[in-house]
Amino acid sequence: MMRRDYILSAVLLVIAVGLPWLDPPRYLLAQGLLLFCWATVVSQWNLVFGIAGIFSLAQIAIFAVGAYSTAMMGRYLEMNLWYAFPIAGVIGVIFSLLIGLGCLRMRGVYVALLTIAVGQVLFVLIMGDGECSPLNPGICMSFTGGPSGMGGFGGFGWREVLGGRHFIIGDYYSMLGLLILAMAFTFWIIHSRMGLAFKALRDNPELASSRGISRFKYQLLVFALSAFFTAEAGAFFAAHFGSVGPGQLSFTLLLFLISMLIVGGMGRPWGPLLGAFLIMGGDEFLKEAGEWRHIGFGVMLLVFMIFLPDGVAGLIDRVWRRLTTRGGAARAGKAAPAE
Amino acid sequence: MAEALLKVAGVSAGYEQQMVLRDVSFEVPEGSLIALLGPNGHGKSTLLRCLSGLLRPTKGTVELAGKRIDNLPADRIVGHGLVHIPQGDMLFPGMSVYDNLLMGVYLPSARVRFEERLKDIYQLLPRLKERTTQLARTLSGGERRMLALGRGLLTGGRLLMLDEPSLGLAPIVIDQIYEVIADLKRQGRTILLVEENASRIIDMADRIHLLDTGTIVWQGDGRELAAQPQILETYLGG
Amino acid sequence: MDYLIQIIVSGLTLGSMYALSAVGLSLVWGSFNCLNMAHGSVMALGAYFTLIAVDSIGFPVWVSLPFAMVGGALVGTAVYYLSVHWMLNTRNYETNIIIATFGIGMVMENGLLKIFGGYPYAQPLTVQGVAGLIGNVPVNYRSIVIWVVAAVLMVALGLLLTRTRAGRAIRAVAQNRDGAKLMGVPVARVYVQVLMLASLLAAVSGILISTTLQIVPYMGANPLLKAFIVICLAGLGNILGALYAALLVGLVEASASTLWAPQYGFPVILVVVILALIWRPEGLFGRVMVARQ
Repeated sequence: MMRRDYILSAVLLVIAVGLPWLDPPRYLLAQGLLLFCWATVVSQWNLVFGIAGIFSLAQIAIFAVGAYSTAMMGRYLEMNLWYAFPIAGVIGVIFSLLIGLGCLRMRGVYVALLTIAVGQVLFVLIMGDGECSPLNPGICMSFTGGPSGMGGFGGFGWREVLGGRHFIIGDYYSMLGLLILAMAFTFWIIHSRMGLAFKALRDNPELASSRGISRFKYQLLVFALSAFFTAEAGAFFAAHFGSVGPGQLSFTLLLFLISMLIVGGMGRPWGPLLGAFLIMGGDEFLKEAGEWRHIGFGVMLLVFMIFLPDGVAGLIDRVWRRLTTRGGAARAGKAAPAE
Repeated sequence: MAEALLKVAGVSAGYEQQMVLRDVSFEVPEGSLIALLGPNGHGKSTLLRCLSGLLRPTKGTVELAGKRIDNLPADRIVGHGLVHIPQGDMLFPGMSVYDNLLMGVYLPSARVRFEERLKDIYQLLPRLKERTTQLARTLSGGERRMLALGRGLLTGGRLLMLDEPSLGLAPIVIDQIYEVIADLKRQGRTILLVEENASRIIDMADRIHLLDTGTIVWQGDGRELAAQPQILETYLGG
Repeated sequence: MDYLIQIIVSGLTLGSMYALSAVGLSLVWGSFNCLNMAHGSVMALGAYFTLIAVDSIGFPVWVSLPFAMVGGALVGTAVYYLSVHWMLNTRNYETNIIIATFGIGMVMENGLLKIFGGYPYAQPLTVQGVAGLIGNVPVNYRSIVIWVVAAVLMVALGLLLTRTRAGRAIRAVAQNRDGAKLMGVPVARVYVQVLMLASLLAAVSGILISTTLQIVPYMGANPLLKAFIVICLAGLGNILGALYAALLVGLVEASASTLWAPQYGFPVILVVVILALIWRPEGLFGRVMVARQ
């Protein structure tokens, strides 16, 4: 990590931790919590796509697997969700390992096509699931809840600790904790052997593979590990809202998240956070706009892909570099006559 | 000497940061055979790609029959009469020999007297006639080269640019290809030939340019080259 | 026995519809390495075009088909100039173009939602009734129309690609882009033609699909994914392979939904295709038609 990263982390952390103490409206906390959730998902997607170079669209499927497995453990096994969370994460990892083993040896575009199909298959399965399950005594409800989703599996449990007025602060800090872990994981990966391997594979694929760096092995590893946090985000999402539904597998959510990734800037550690902030902030203004909102996202994706494919973070990087080099040159120029 | 058909003046080009060509100038007079010699990887193919428009030169001008072509896209340059028979042949592997030849007359201007010219091509390259329905990717290396040659000739250009026509072929097939080139020269075609191996062209070329690390370092005719053993030694391995 | 006939009848119907969209998708990929995520929305647009032609403008029903085909081709042109035109030969083009066309697709889909609302319409261009029985399995006129339309268009496409100058140029560009340029083929114009052609086929595919289901803005999403799977199975860019793979996928899906339950059709296809791709990573039929060097 560079000094700039440390300073930025500290500042953001102070803001995020301090926000609840300013007694903000509940809505702001709820939105902040959601921001952390999406930022977690997108940060892991960024690892997979931007760093490891896997064009996976399975991220929402992994997210949904985390959410659904938490919900099912809570509802059918009556498990305390805090025990369910790590299990949901592991289920996400196994799920993504299976996808990875199936797809990652193929060429990039095949990965995109097959992973998007995985999400859609889950969607179709859940939507078509109408059989009454014996696990739901007294009512006719299918195992997955079908199109209407499922609830009744508990939550974080902060309501019991902090009371009905302040429980959201508990939810808020829980989600923030997850994001911090996910971001730490991101930085760790980037600066680990794996991150260096990917850099080598990107810069000089032949040299890298001649040194025995196996793209498949590293890609599978990142794909699987990052699934833990993605599934965990799904689990926390389910715990906060107290319900899950097939909407988590929709193209709309995919559009929303991919916009964050692209607008923020792919392959840059802070991109996802920036993207999540910008998209959610922008979305506030478009809340009333109905379909225009999605049309706006579509147009924005197109515009960014054409004019700013490395996102706002990329733009900031370029401006920063220009400023610092020009500043350096000016300082050097000033220093010269003094000598 | 006749009027220059192709005038290359101060052409520089490169991929990414690396300049491959630096300030290359030469002319190809009408009806002559000009050879570009030089070791592998010293810009010969890049030069031809610049001339045919597959690559845009970063500096310099290219004139074909008095018309500037360096700012035109490749598909327009063909129409002005420059034929590039590239390295690797660039055939359409999933199409038949006949369909490949038909692509040679894609431009309406190339389609005049098609039947007649096709007959000429078959006469020059009889192997193609035996293989008309075969897919290009099933051809042997020599047959591919001939198809590339035939397809290029059909575009009806005035200047034929051949990029290492002997590359990767068995000696006996190389002989056949060079016989065809000699035929074409006899017919009075203007030819710009790129080769790594001097022995094939030393008697044939009207003028030889030696390309080394992206610039022309020597020029003269075959006799003069033969009198420069150290050049032959250094650049062309004797 | 009746099960088998049922599977073949509905499998061929599904396969015919998938073929029309998959072939176009594959053609576009083969020509300029673009996985067109807007293809599904073009299918939906095609279905809405017939609706506009018949309900809003008042054209006779049979005119609505060419109307939708022309509309589809125009939309294809628009997609080209909105995305591919600006992005060709840029860094990460292959992935960026997927995202860009996804954006365009979302604009189209939500545009339809904005204009027509979310409620389903019935496709005006359809035929009713049962043509006859094979065994005990009824065969609809609708299925027959779908087979005939798909077959006619596939044959027409085949003739176009192999027998005409424009078609040969399309194949030439797909097989060797620089080689085609050196023959004087204006590559960018060919790209536009390819996207027009593919979108025209997508529009027809959308119309056929909407005769069996209904017209809704997001109706293209599912068929698009099926088409993706089909072209993966066939080997990206292999056009003839896409046709076979479409029929195969249609039959597999029909088997799964007849013998098991409708919702298992898609999952079964996906698993089968992933297994097939692990076995043969270049697709079942490889890159026969548009092998690149």
